[in-house]
Amino acid sequence: MRPGQRGGSINVSQIVLSSDLCTAAVPVKVRSINPEYEPEINSRKCQMIPFTRHLKLGIGLLCGLAMCAGAAQAPQHIDIKQLSTTVEDVVVPLPNEIFGALNKLGAVNWKQHVRSDKGPNFTERPRIALLLGTVIADGFIAVQAEDSATVKEIGQRVLALAKGIGVGNSITPHAKAIVEAADKRNWENVRQELDRTQNSVQQAMNEVHDEKLSQLVSLGGWLRGTEVLTSVVKEHFSSDGAELLHQPDLLSYFLTRLKAMPEFNVPIIRQIQDALGEVKPLIDVGNRRIPPESVKKVNEITTRLGHGIVTRD
Amino acid sequence: MKRFAKVIFRTSLPLLALVALQPVIFASVDDAQSFALQAAEPYVKQGFQVREDYWGGDLGSGEKKAVRQQLFKGNEYWFWLGTEVDRAKVSVHVYDSDGKLAEEPDGWEKGHFAAAHVIPKATGSYFIIVSVEESPEERTHWALVYGFR
Repeated sequence: MRPGQRGGSINVSQIVLSSDLCTAAVPVKVRSINPEYEPEINSRKCQMIPFTRHLKLGIGLLCGLAMCAGAAQAPQHIDIKQLSTTVEDVVVPLPNEIFGALNKLGAVNWKQHVRSDKGPNFTERPRIALLLGTVIADGFIAVQAEDSATVKEIGQRVLALAKGIGVGNSITPHAKAIVEAADKRNWENVRQELDRTQNSVQQAMNEVHDEKLSQLVSLGGWLRGTEVLTSVVKEHFSSDGAELLHQPDLLSYFLTRLKAMPEFNVPIIRQIQDALGEVKPLIDVGNRRIPPESVKKVNEITTRLGHGIVTRD
Repeated sequence: MKRFAKVIFRTSLPLLALVALQPVIFASVDDAQSFALQAAEPYVKQGFQVREDYWGGDLGSGEKKAVRQQLFKGNEYWFWLGTEVDRAKVSVHVYDSDGKLAEEPDGWEKGHFAAAHVIPKATGSYFIIVSVEESPEERTHWALVYGFR
């Protein structure tokens, strides 16, 4: 049976004392199994007589419990400061990850944030990379607004920019898929293709050791996403909306990466670096709430940077 | 002719060995990622968008690694861990920035797959702890993918 299909299932998610199952003295949490396997365990080809059914059910249950009992209970608390083996790579959230959370707080008029102007053609690769990230984020905004025409324009624009930094080949199929999905108004597919586009661009850049440009693509997208997030929250302020700005580690990640790009002698890069330094104390508030003034300030900063990214010096 | 056959035999032997050992030699984080995505597959039908980007590496038996990730309150997340070593046992757990276990009770572990479910109580950084509990290999590739809705 295929994963995800529904069948009669037994819920094995429960807490049992481990003493009967193994020698450990601590409670063992029997974790629920992957839904993919539930139908397999419970499916059968023909009807069984009661005794056989009970016997098989019993054996199945025992096997299941024995299999799951091996999963030791995770500690309820760990000392974060003692984590010496942290993976430094960060997966930067997609704009629609934030937009999705924002949508749940109330209806958002996404149409007013759609941007489809083509902007200038840059020749400096760092500028193209930043712009590319911004345009991909604009794609996510157009998807939120369900604006098929703009999504298609953005698909073409992404392709042109990717060609500008020499990774057009890896983007062509995605650009095509974006246009096709937008035609069918299949927004889930457009979102997936936009993610694939960004991933393919970055992979292609990493393969030719252009990791720094790849990071600028993420940064461009994050800045545009934050600009729109603060714009929405500024208009209809809520503490939960403002809390979505609480991303201090992500900001530190971008600041560290920007400091390691001295070779990119482009004013906008230095402007972003200085501006992120201004943003950090506004959103790195620990357990305190982010006030409306901070949201407004972050919006001013990201709007200014956004304008700088799409405008020729 | 006999000599020619011998030459062919001798040259093809290393090639055959290479083909036979290929899965061992070329097993990589990409393979581990395929398994992690396999674990994620049923959840796509439930509306989860699985990210293309992922974390990966290799660990010895009993070793752990922490991955830091920004999560947003209001979203629901699943993290799926996979390895290509089918007799390995892996686990994944999620903690908040204070080190408190932050996952829902419906996470699961099954051999070389594991998954953790998080509905964040607050927006901020979370730590995802991946671990190779047991493995017949000296080093075991792992890959961690996540999805949200």
